[in-house]
Amino acid sequence: MIYVKTASSISHQNSFQKESIWEDLHVLKADSVVISPDYKNYIPAAALRRLSPVLRMAMTAAQECQKAVEVEFDAISVGTALGCLKDTEKFLQTFISAASETLSPTAFIQSTHNTIGGQISLALGNHAYNMTHTQNSLSFEVALIDAMMCCREGKKNVLVGAADEAIDFLELLRNELIKTDRQFTSGASFFVLGSEPTKVSVADCSITFNSIDLSKEVDSFLSKNDLNHSDIDLVLHAGIELDSFKNSMNYEDYSGFHYSSSAFAFHIGHDFLKSVNANNVLIINAQMNEKLGLTLLKK
Amino acid sequence: MNELKENLKAQIIEQLNLEDLTTADIQDDANLFSDDGLGLDSIDALEFIVLLESEYGIKIADPSEGRDIFQSVNSLAAYIEKNR
Amino acid sequence: MIEIFVTGYGAISSIGNNVEEMLQSLLDEKSGIQKGKLPHSEKQLVGEIHFTNEELIKKFGLKTTGSRTGILGAIAAKEAFANHSINAEIRTGVISGTSVGGMDTSEIEYRNLLEEKPHNVANYQFHSSGNSSEQIAEELGIDGFINTISTACSSAANSIMMGARMIRQGMVDRVVVGGTDGLAGFTINGFRSLMIFDEEWCRPFDESRKGLNLGEGAGFLVLESAKSIEKSESTILARLRGWSNASDAYHQTASSPNGQGATLSMTEALSVAGMKPEEIDYINAHGTATPNNDLSESQAIINVFGSKIPPFSSTKAYTGHTLAASGGIEAVIAILAIQKGYLFPNLNHRNVIEETKLQPITTIQKVNKIRVVLSNSFGFGGNNSTIILSE
Repeated sequence: MIYVKTASSISHQNSFQKESIWEDLHVLKADSVVISPDYKNYIPAAALRRLSPVLRMAMTAAQECQKAVEVEFDAISVGTALGCLKDTEKFLQTFISAASETLSPTAFIQSTHNTIGGQISLALGNHAYNMTHTQNSLSFEVALIDAMMCCREGKKNVLVGAADEAIDFLELLRNELIKTDRQFTSGASFFVLGSEPTKVSVADCSITFNSIDLSKEVDSFLSKNDLNHSDIDLVLHAGIELDSFKNSMNYEDYSGFHYSSSAFAFHIGHDFLKSVNANNVLIINAQMNEKLGLTLLKK
Repeated sequence: MNELKENLKAQIIEQLNLEDLTTADIQDDANLFSDDGLGLDSIDALEFIVLLESEYGIKIADPSEGRDIFQSVNSLAAYIEKNR
Repeated sequence: MIEIFVTGYGAISSIGNNVEEMLQSLLDEKSGIQKGKLPHSEKQLVGEIHFTNEELIKKFGLKTTGSRTGILGAIAAKEAFANHSINAEIRTGVISGTSVGGMDTSEIEYRNLLEEKPHNVANYQFHSSGNSSEQIAEELGIDGFINTISTACSSAANSIMMGARMIRQGMVDRVVVGGTDGLAGFTINGFRSLMIFDEEWCRPFDESRKGLNLGEGAGFLVLESAKSIEKSESTILARLRGWSNASDAYHQTASSPNGQGATLSMTEALSVAGMKPEEIDYINAHGTATPNNDLSESQAIINVFGSKIPPFSSTKAYTGHTLAASGGIEAVIAILAIQKGYLFPNLNHRNVIEETKLQPITTIQKVNKIRVVLSNSFGFGGNNSTIILSE
């Protein structure tokens, strides 16, 4: 069994350092902002000065997880769909409009996808396995699958999470490339998986591409886990309409739109199971239509 | 020379994103790269090269040359005076 | 323990459009590094592939269009998968590594935006790194697990490692693994800003080394379990015996002077393989020719192998540093070494590094047997990976 030891999110909800985010969840308004802590309290100035929002969020959430668990992580698995967008755009502007060949390197260095995982390992002085997965809307799911593999290989404290950030440029892609009416938001959610029993376990996570019949995929996922629709106490979904479950929420109402939002759904599901008399939570990530991520949390 | 040093400190703060510092916080002779100086690193050394070119028109082709030049505000100012 | 077999390989780089051409260049000691021929590359020495995207699509009869990274990946993956076919009984996946993704197309469009020229948003559709792996899967007709790993220069090695672990855990039966990166202005300018280039031909493990030459390309393996091979009836080329990933946690771009991360990854890979250091017949080093990497890696090699350093070389003076593809291309080179019994040289080497005095192989050598090869790939962010291949 793979248990969830702790959860930490920085999001457009007041989620940071909350014992449970379940009670205070509210539907986001159209102009919501990231509710972030004073990062100066978590990251030394020398490092902080270079860090874009996504890096600040991810590092702080990861550090909260380290504080809660204390033991050194023996694996770190991070998901991000678009990586460090702010620095990517900054470096594009730098080199395209450069007057000379002498270019400022900081934005380039900060722009690679694995800067998130790399900065986490630096901040924690961690020498373990450190992986960055990027598979669009399923980036968190793949990071989670890897983390679960690490647990099955005997790792005892695996940090897993995902983060993505919004930049103004994304508005240019709305409708044509990114089909959503929602506000583009940012978020980072991190968890620690391990073998010591806690209230919540991750039972299964699977991804499929080219899914033609989403409800059929959901049915076979449930039956693989010996469950019926009626066994599911809460479905957290995105990109799919459902009427066959007793209690369902569209998690994007609470996270806004970014491709790591299923990680936030994981946090919601986790806290729901901790605080309510319930047994099973199903997360259905169909944010990008036929690319489907299914995750099952159990008490 | 003092005006140059004062300008330099402001430019350093800007180029290296040292948000919380003022020019008064940077001593002329402090070793910028040591922990009791500003604790700068190799990425900052590259940013110094960018700064020297964009503000003073001085080109440094080999980053390893930079180590001595960038040691302190004093050494930077001296180098700029000599080469601009 | 489920054994991991290699039943396909494919590679494209500046030293060849396929594995056979690459082998010939290796034997001829012929480097692919020369002055770049395109606006974004013409100021550097690079290992460039001298075909446009359109020419590549036509030449290799690709279904896919789009970014150079996806196209190069499709070519090499297609070669690796050439003797395989889709079989409903064989669960097949694709895990690919990339650092730039579709940036080569995005940067052209973004320039239009900055220069207030007509801006076609559709051209950003290939941007995301995740798309390149989906392009490869679609090209091969694979409808199973797809993932993209982005850990800079260790991406392909990490993809190979994840594929092996998934087979071992019974999650897939067969997996196409490796990496791809096309040359983009973003990367060339990025490395320029780090002042990490050599204006001349790079000299890995040489005392006078100044920096790297960038390259582009893609390299892929097909990994399978024995049970899968019973159904696919594919030919075994090699075995994947060990793998590991560890973090240096020293600095974002520099490697630790004592080579801690690299020492950890090599040591653990040997442990996974159940092998001792003396069983390694050849090391294909990461050897980018930067002052920092080659010293750090040399120290790590000494830490692991002590006084009994196996023959080693960096082949980056042939191909340039192909970033996320390097672990994949170099895995193919490792297998060629095993199959053909050649130690491939560390070209352009004159003098050993003063501090560590390690002497790489400098001319091509035929030997009796190369049974086991260790290959290193180290990425920015202190991401250190090692894989071990054998006959």
